[in-house]
Amino acid sequence: MTLAFTHPYGLLLLPLAFLPLFAGVQDTEPYPSLQTARSDPLSNAADLVLRLLGSLAIAGLVLGLAGLHRLGQSIERTGEGANIVLLFDRSASMNDTFAGDAPTTTGGESKSAAARRFLKEFVTTREHDRFGIAAFSTAPMFVLPLSDHRDATLGAIDAIEQPGLALTNVGKGLAMALSMHDSDILSTHGADGGISSRAIVLVSDGAAVIDRKVQQKLEAAFLKRPINLYWIFLRTEGARGIFDRPGPNDMDTPRAMPERHLHLFFQNLKIPYKAFEVENPAALGEAVATIDKLERRPMRYQERIPQKDLSGVVYAVAALSLFLLTLVKLAEVRLSDRGLSQPAGRGHPEEQ
Amino acid sequence: MSGDPVPAAPPPADIPYRVPWRAAGVRIGAHRGTVEGSGGLFRDHDLLVRTKDPRRIDLRMSLRDPFENLHVKRFEQRTSVTVYALVDLSASLGFSGSVRKIDVAADLCGAIASSARRIGDSFGMIGCNEKVVPACFWPATTSRGAEAEMVASLRGFSPADQGTLGRGAHGLIDAAAFIAGRRKLVFLISDFYLPFGTIEAVFEALSEHDVIPIVLRDPRELRDLPRYGLVSLADLETGKRRLYVMRPSLRRALIREEAENAKRLRALAMRFGHPPFEVAGRVDWDRFGAYLMGEAA
Repeated sequence: MTLAFTHPYGLLLLPLAFLPLFAGVQDTEPYPSLQTARSDPLSNAADLVLRLLGSLAIAGLVLGLAGLHRLGQSIERTGEGANIVLLFDRSASMNDTFAGDAPTTTGGESKSAAARRFLKEFVTTREHDRFGIAAFSTAPMFVLPLSDHRDATLGAIDAIEQPGLALTNVGKGLAMALSMHDSDILSTHGADGGISSRAIVLVSDGAAVIDRKVQQKLEAAFLKRPINLYWIFLRTEGARGIFDRPGPNDMDTPRAMPERHLHLFFQNLKIPYKAFEVENPAALGEAVATIDKLERRPMRYQERIPQKDLSGVVYAVAALSLFLLTLVKLAEVRLSDRGLSQPAGRGHPEEQ
Repeated sequence: MSGDPVPAAPPPADIPYRVPWRAAGVRIGAHRGTVEGSGGLFRDHDLLVRTKDPRRIDLRMSLRDPFENLHVKRFEQRTSVTVYALVDLSASLGFSGSVRKIDVAADLCGAIASSARRIGDSFGMIGCNEKVVPACFWPATTSRGAEAEMVASLRGFSPADQGTLGRGAHGLIDAAAFIAGRRKLVFLISDFYLPFGTIEAVFEALSEHDVIPIVLRDPRELRDLPRYGLVSLADLETGKRRLYVMRPSLRRALIREEAENAKRLRALAMRFGHPPFEVAGRVDWDRFGAYLMGEAA
């Protein structure tokens, strides 16, 4: 725990805390002689405690004035998890239901809404994961860098609710997801020791042809840094699936069957890759659960603890001490204030 | 304690002290002495040829003598004694309870001094802390003026401001050397908050005299201790502070120990002659008189 002070020069007053140890807090009265009077252990202990209380009160006030606070810091912890970039397809068709209708007409859940629901659950259950979010349609959109800010991640997932845009450009989206991992490795200086798993979860309802040049670049990038790739394909009813084999009359080309060829491209990347073809919300949930199971590797992560103002604590300690000292002060008895009604000797009037 | 002390009840005309021994002084006074003279008390007979005082011829005795000597009555000469007050001026005497202890001591000295003057005894006063205090050193005198000065010097003395000299009362032993000689009447005025060895040494040093110990106490020292509460006390002699968390058991224990100390002091004082007279607060002159006539006589 690192402590710091807002006004360190206020600590110059700290030696004042030794004052009660020497001077005492009580109002003392002269007494002829204490040599013969017994020393009471309980009273001596109380004396010490009161002196310490006095010191504590002054020290608390001085520390509070100096602005004691704990510096923000990060603690390295080990847990299970992964660095995951969620890559969303933001094409317009994502707003349709799995049946291909607009959600308002049928009352069904849109694909994006279902994806949002399950991914939020996923994010909430994965405590130690770091999430990044990217989206793509015609161009990739950088949403949120890899971070452990859960609220921001959930917020970013919520933002997918906005109606999507035109087309699907998977290649650029993947490139952005990869670059997010790259920049994250750079920015964390490999603090995780390279042991934690890195994954990209691609959520889309369609596929598109990836340019040959882009394919080569992606291949090179994935070769450089093996990253687990999960493709959750939200298949609209009646649309082609990723596992469909071409019929005898069909042309087996990327342009004719983009889903199948994108799947093949991913398979050929020589990286851990898994595709889920999802046709209804329940299947989406299963797919997410499978990813949850697969992405369990030990990782080191930094838990960040924000700066904390401790002056309230020290003021509270000081206030408590002062309160106790006030009670003690009220319990004090002055001998010279007593005995006025008990005249000494033969009954001469006492001093007024 | 407010500044101006309330005047004490005026002491009685005379402190009725008397000495149970024959004073060896030659000055004419009020006490029985060893010297023959014109006092009223018959002492013995002697031959006229030896005493050469024909005024006191005892005819009956002379006629009864078969050898026909002339006998003369001899009478005791009443003599005066020297009275000293040895006052402990250690810092603890600076305590102000219901009254300033130093004022009580001054009251006592003033009363004894005026009584002594009236019956022709000489009175002296020696104040002592660790050493004999020069400002309060008054050799015995019968002078009238000295009496007021003695009391004034005592009242003006501040025992608490004497530094390390106020730590004890060993000066009382030194003072014994100043008053050595013929047997004197010595009032030893102190609070007797002294180590027991010191008290014993003082009594031993004064053993040739007739010592009347007067213990100055104050109700505030003990009787007024509260049953509950916090009392913070500072020792006047050492300056040490002590906190007492008062409770009935502690109060009882303190009072019991004080009573035990008083008992030990009494036993010690009795070994050297008289039991001590305890003054609580102001001097109760009647009780003091009764004590002098009774226990101390």
